[in-house]
Amino acid sequence: MIFNQLKKMALPNAARKLLLGVKSSFSLFQTTANAEYRYLSSVSNPKGLLSLEKEEENKVAGHKNVVPLECRFVYPEFLPDPRLDHRNSLREKLERMDMMNRRNHIDIPEFYVGSVLAVSSSNPHAPEKVTRFVGICIQRGGCGLRAFFIIRNVVDHQGVEMFYEMYSPVIQKIEVLRLEKRLDNELLYLRDALPEYSTFPLDMEPEYLPEGSAIPVNPIKVKLKPRPWLERWERQELKGVQDLGLPKRFYERAAAVAKPWEKYDLMAEYRESIPAEEQEEIFAEVYSQLHQLEVTRKIMKRKRTFVKPKKMG
Amino acid sequence: MNQADVSKLMSRLKIKYSPVKRKLKNSEGPVGRAKKIQKTLTALIKHERIELNFNRADETRGYVERLISDAIRYGDCHRATMELADYWLLEKQLVHKLFKVLVPRFENCPVSYTRMYRAPRPCPGNHFERAVLELRGNPYPSLLPDTISNRNLIHNVLLDEAHKEYRAQKYAEIARKLEAADENVAKSSGDSDGPESSGLETPEEIKASTEAQVASEVQPSACYEGHGRGGSEESRGGTAAGNPSERAGLPLGAILSRASKRRVSQHR
Repeated sequence: MIFNQLKKMALPNAARKLLLGVKSSFSLFQTTANAEYRYLSSVSNPKGLLSLEKEEENKVAGHKNVVPLECRFVYPEFLPDPRLDHRNSLREKLERMDMMNRRNHIDIPEFYVGSVLAVSSSNPHAPEKVTRFVGICIQRGGCGLRAFFIIRNVVDHQGVEMFYEMYSPVIQKIEVLRLEKRLDNELLYLRDALPEYSTFPLDMEPEYLPEGSAIPVNPIKVKLKPRPWLERWERQELKGVQDLGLPKRFYERAAAVAKPWEKYDLMAEYRESIPAEEQEEIFAEVYSQLHQLEVTRKIMKRKRTFVKPKKMG
Repeated sequence: MNQADVSKLMSRLKIKYSPVKRKLKNSEGPVGRAKKIQKTLTALIKHERIELNFNRADETRGYVERLISDAIRYGDCHRATMELADYWLLEKQLVHKLFKVLVPRFENCPVSYTRMYRAPRPCPGNHFERAVLELRGNPYPSLLPDTISNRNLIHNVLLDEAHKEYRAQKYAEIARKLEAADENVAKSSGDSDGPESSGLETPEEIKASTEAQVASEVQPSACYEGHGRGGSEESRGGTAAGNPSERAGLPLGAILSRASKRRVSQHR
């Protein structure tokens, strides 16, 4: 794609020759031949995913040379819907512009499933026109402007879940009271768990983490209420629940119904994902602005937590 | 409306793939589909060129590309990739071949690792569409007809003429430059015996540089492996050169360099 565009451009003779004559040996998708990376099983993405052209562009534009691929965990909604039928590059670009505009007005912090959030949204029927809800994030999904999250709490012995769209103008403030991850990607089993695991005080104070530390993973194992449940939890590989204590026949049936070949289905996992090169292209567009917002947020946080010492007596 | 699953990083596929997977109808259902793809994949890695039904070939092509790209990205010391290779390759010496032979072969390959051609259906009869699936760089002779050796084919005749015209143009240019340089030298030696002005080149320098330019534009550069006539990346219109200097968009030198590149690559 980039190659064709460059071909049509009016390039000097030397550059033209480079493109036309050395096409086969010139790697657009340069993967590293560095043997070191092979032996490090923890390294998941080799360096140098950016093509030569991109690196030059970045250097010329003055941006960072390498966009960190960890963006895909922090800002997953920037990646488009992997379904081919739902892809439209123009719409995705426009959506990303709108998302950045919204983020310029409101601070949408980094959070994960398992973090405790407090969301203030406008409500015409509330006395102060603002509703504040505190809860644990049990699910996160959607892409683009339709990105959503669900937060759960137990209020007056009644389990309550609120569905919020991250980029809705109705949302006035999102605060992260406790930033942490859990052992599972979705905590829908909290609906069938004992209420104490979903209860959070509505006047909870934010808990701060030391700067630059990794996101803590809460290894808690939740105890479920006795059956009936909303889903067959024994058939899902849940790591965050205690031993379910079901009769043997449940586990036998789960094994009979299981589809172990799906784990190896390479094309299915490709169709549900966005390739690394595309992720880099997408985040290269927005990373500099996102990074700027992050830096501003850190400065504001430091200003807020600093309390001027008062004179005694 | 679904968030992409980003737990695993994978390289972009360089082939076209359909958004919906084929069932590959069989008595065992999805298990049987996986087994069929395992067998085809193993056979392709083993023989490097196989002829089979079109749908099965198209389905396994994606899996082959994905497996090779994962092997390149993660290498053989990555547990998950080794498990995948162990699952898909039924003959275990092919796991060795994948990591030790195919990965170095395709490491810097900018195009797809496989090629698929449509094959003729057995006649008479109402049979399924056939296809030939092969890995690039396989040791067999090319399946595509040789359009390079026979210089009497019309496109080769036209290209040869275009070649001659280009060289004639270039030599005329050299001659003009040499004449100009000779005049300048004569003038400067006539005027003064001082050092030559920096802007003018000696006749020998001009000749050397233009020869080098002509030689480099016409000679082929190192190819990865034969692109052949079926290469989708190169425009088909390049072979049918009418009057080369009138061709919109591409200069004469570019067409000829491309043509000579194909000539060398087909001989490999």
